[in-house]
Amino acid sequence: MANDSNELKPLKTWSHLAGQRRRPSEYEIVSTNLLWSTDGDMPWALSPNIDMNKWYLKYRNQSPLKHEDWDAFRDPDELVYRTYNIKQDGQETYVDGLLDEHNRNEHDTGYGKDWLECLAKSYTPARYLIHTMQMGSAYLVQMVPASTIENCAMLQAADQLRWISRISYRTKELQKSFANLDFGGQERNRWEKDPSWQGFRKLMERTLVTYDWAEHFVALNLIAKPAIDEAFIRQLGKASRRNGDMLLALLNDAQMLDSERSRRWTKALVEFALNIEGNRTILEEWIKKWEPLGDSAIELYCDGLPDSPEASSEAKIAVKEWRQSIGL
Amino acid sequence: MALLERNEWYDIARDTNWTPTYVSQENLFPPTMSDPYQIPIDEWETFDEPYKVSFREYVRTQREKDGSAYSVKAALSRSRFYDQACEGWASVLKLHYGTVALTEYQACQFQARMVRFGPSPSMRNMATFGMLDEMRHAQLQLFFPHELVHRDRQYDWAHEAAHTNNWAVIGGRHAMDDIMMCRDAVTGSLMVSFAFETGLTNLQMIGLSTDAANMGDFTFSNLITSIQSDEARHAQLGTPTIEIMVRNGYKEDAQKILDIAFWRVWRLFSVSVGIPMDYYIPLEQRHMSFKEFMHEWVNRQYVRQVEDLGLAKPWYWQHFLDDIENHHHCQQGGIWSWRPTVWWNPPGAVGPKERQWLEKKYPGWNDSYGTYWDVITENLLADREEKTHPECVPIICNMCQIPISNRPGKAWKARPYQFEHEGRRYNFCTEPCRWIFTTDPNRYKDHETIVDRMYSGEIQPPDLDGVLKYMGIGVVSEGGRDGYNYQWIEGFRSAAAE
Ligand SMILES: [Fe+2]
Ligand SMILES: [Fe+2]
Ligand SMILES: [Zn+2]
Repeated sequence: MANDSNELKPLKTWSHLAGQRRRPSEYEIVSTNLLWSTDGDMPWALSPNIDMNKWYLKYRNQSPLKHEDWDAFRDPDELVYRTYNIKQDGQETYVDGLLDEHNRNEHDTGYGKDWLECLAKSYTPARYLIHTMQMGSAYLVQMVPASTIENCAMLQAADQLRWISRISYRTKELQKSFANLDFGGQERNRWEKDPSWQGFRKLMERTLVTYDWAEHFVALNLIAKPAIDEAFIRQLGKASRRNGDMLLALLNDAQMLDSERSRRWTKALVEFALNIEGNRTILEEWIKKWEPLGDSAIELYCDGLPDSPEASSEAKIAVKEWRQSIGL
Repeated sequence: MALLERNEWYDIARDTNWTPTYVSQENLFPPTMSDPYQIPIDEWETFDEPYKVSFREYVRTQREKDGSAYSVKAALSRSRFYDQACEGWASVLKLHYGTVALTEYQACQFQARMVRFGPSPSMRNMATFGMLDEMRHAQLQLFFPHELVHRDRQYDWAHEAAHTNNWAVIGGRHAMDDIMMCRDAVTGSLMVSFAFETGLTNLQMIGLSTDAANMGDFTFSNLITSIQSDEARHAQLGTPTIEIMVRNGYKEDAQKILDIAFWRVWRLFSVSVGIPMDYYIPLEQRHMSFKEFMHEWVNRQYVRQVEDLGLAKPWYWQHFLDDIENHHHCQQGGIWSWRPTVWWNPPGAVGPKERQWLEKKYPGWNDSYGTYWDVITENLLADREEKTHPECVPIICNMCQIPISNRPGKAWKARPYQFEHEGRRYNFCTEPCRWIFTTDPNRYKDHETIVDRMYSGEIQPPDLDGVLKYMGIGVVSEGGRDGYNYQWIEGFRSAAAE
């Protein structure tokens, strides 16, 4: 059998990483160049005109945001599955400790009527909001053009399920402590009708139907996620400290750690895209288009927080400053 | 600790459906991505996964599982093991990793489709764990073969296979793109979670793990057992989906969906697991024949599970039972003969003792498959190795992409099943493969088999070297040779001498 076998030298790592001058990390070994649907012109090995080929061609391959080598993207945290679990197991143990301590000290019984109303209005309905972020992140997972981006999006989706679970946990505890306040029953109605949630609901519904992968990324990770971070996590956290709810303040601080990780890879992906001429205009146009929806979500939500007159402007400035800090 | 039990708050966390008003429900959940049957949302809200887990429990359990899978102590004994492992077992690993690692990774995208477009919030949450599981499986099954790549370039296929046009890869991608990557969340959960993961992954994982332990490869044995424990959890996404479809008048659709997927996955697994179990694993270490395994672990269980759901076993059950007796024997002959086209070193391994075993497990083997190997053995005994390489081009099935072949013997004939569509003639290996094509010709009609590509000019130059290169042979690694350097014929030589 004649082939070029004599030219095939022994390998120290995957052939596709062999050109690197340094030894590859575990992260690179298990995370890079794993998509088969980006290899050829047609994403999937079925007829070109089936719905799924058309979907991927339109919303991924023909996205206006371009890069000749998306696979070169790297997660700055270089997280792999097993390190994610190690970190989050530790974080969850910490959160268990917070909840346990709070529970043992019967802190719920110390809440005043106004603060309970704030929890019912601005805290427990957030499981719907965070769930939309879970869904949006999962859309990225199936549509991004590189496995290294996909992994970041997967862990972001998982983080959201983490916080939906903790919010639901607290909802149940509050329900047990205050049977008359309909915790666990009233949240959907608040999410659908309460003015303070309508900005976020509009933003998230619009984001979820934005199927171009890159515009979806912009709406989700550059507009919606920072808006949630600054309004729901930071400003609600502030309000909870002022109202003596140290548990919620600490829970939101813990949630912010996950958000900071998201921001790191988001920043890295933006910088990676900005290396290509033409991408800046596209990203900036999308931000211009989505920013008003993000600002309005922040305003409506923050205006519903008690004793927080500066919340809205602080949050809006914070998201803008963050976007500026990453070159946008 | 004074913490709530999971079941106290769990239902709240999966009560997350809402009524959109800023966009339409149809745009938020497009039928082609979500639920083409348009079953009412309150029906989907009854979805109840039998096995529940919280994020908190998940990260703890999975951390523990990974702790043992990646143990450093095991790495040392692993290195000693591979120093002396036989090429038959190495072939099992090369075939396994090459076909499985990236398939697991694409499964993340499929699970993500259920997270985004699943009509039930429970499904969306469960699939989030499913997605993470598949990330784990991809990473584990890249990490371990990577340790071996310095020993042998053929392990590079764990990462590269899916990026090549190797004929075996074309078959795998066609099936996976069909049942997993190009389906809406609901149909996909039947095909993947039920037909594939509930029906057949036992075969992939449990089937090989006992053999691996017998071989002394405890790393691989533990690895796939650990993977299977995740599969068993997220596979349960399928059952509630089927129940809801059946209850809402989509029983026939559910049946058809399962029957398509079961056959497609079966055709792949009979090659990727059947051949290793009955040929690559040395005789002394085989614990069960592939056929025995199928009957014990797949057939009875699968039939019971579909019947429990009010469905029937596939219409092609008789063809399937027949295929268990034949398909992997045909393909062992084919793959061995075409060994330069694959990335592992398939052992012929049909010496006198192995043939006795095969005859016992598959009565009639000697008079059929045995005759094929008689010719090969004679050529090898007479130092005519070159005659063991076929010159003809096989006919490839337009569905499973596997060469069409039948049981050899007195009444031997390779007869393709055919179908004409829009002026093109399609060939199929079996009636079920043909049937699948007819369920949706538009979906499949434009795909070209490796042989079509030879004739269409896509493969250049259209000679043997060109084809091999196109398939990644001589590019990623050398192609295959006989895994035992033909030592298995020695038993016949000594028998002849006596
Ligand atoms: Fe898996
Ligand atoms: Fe799976
Ligand atoms: Zn076929």
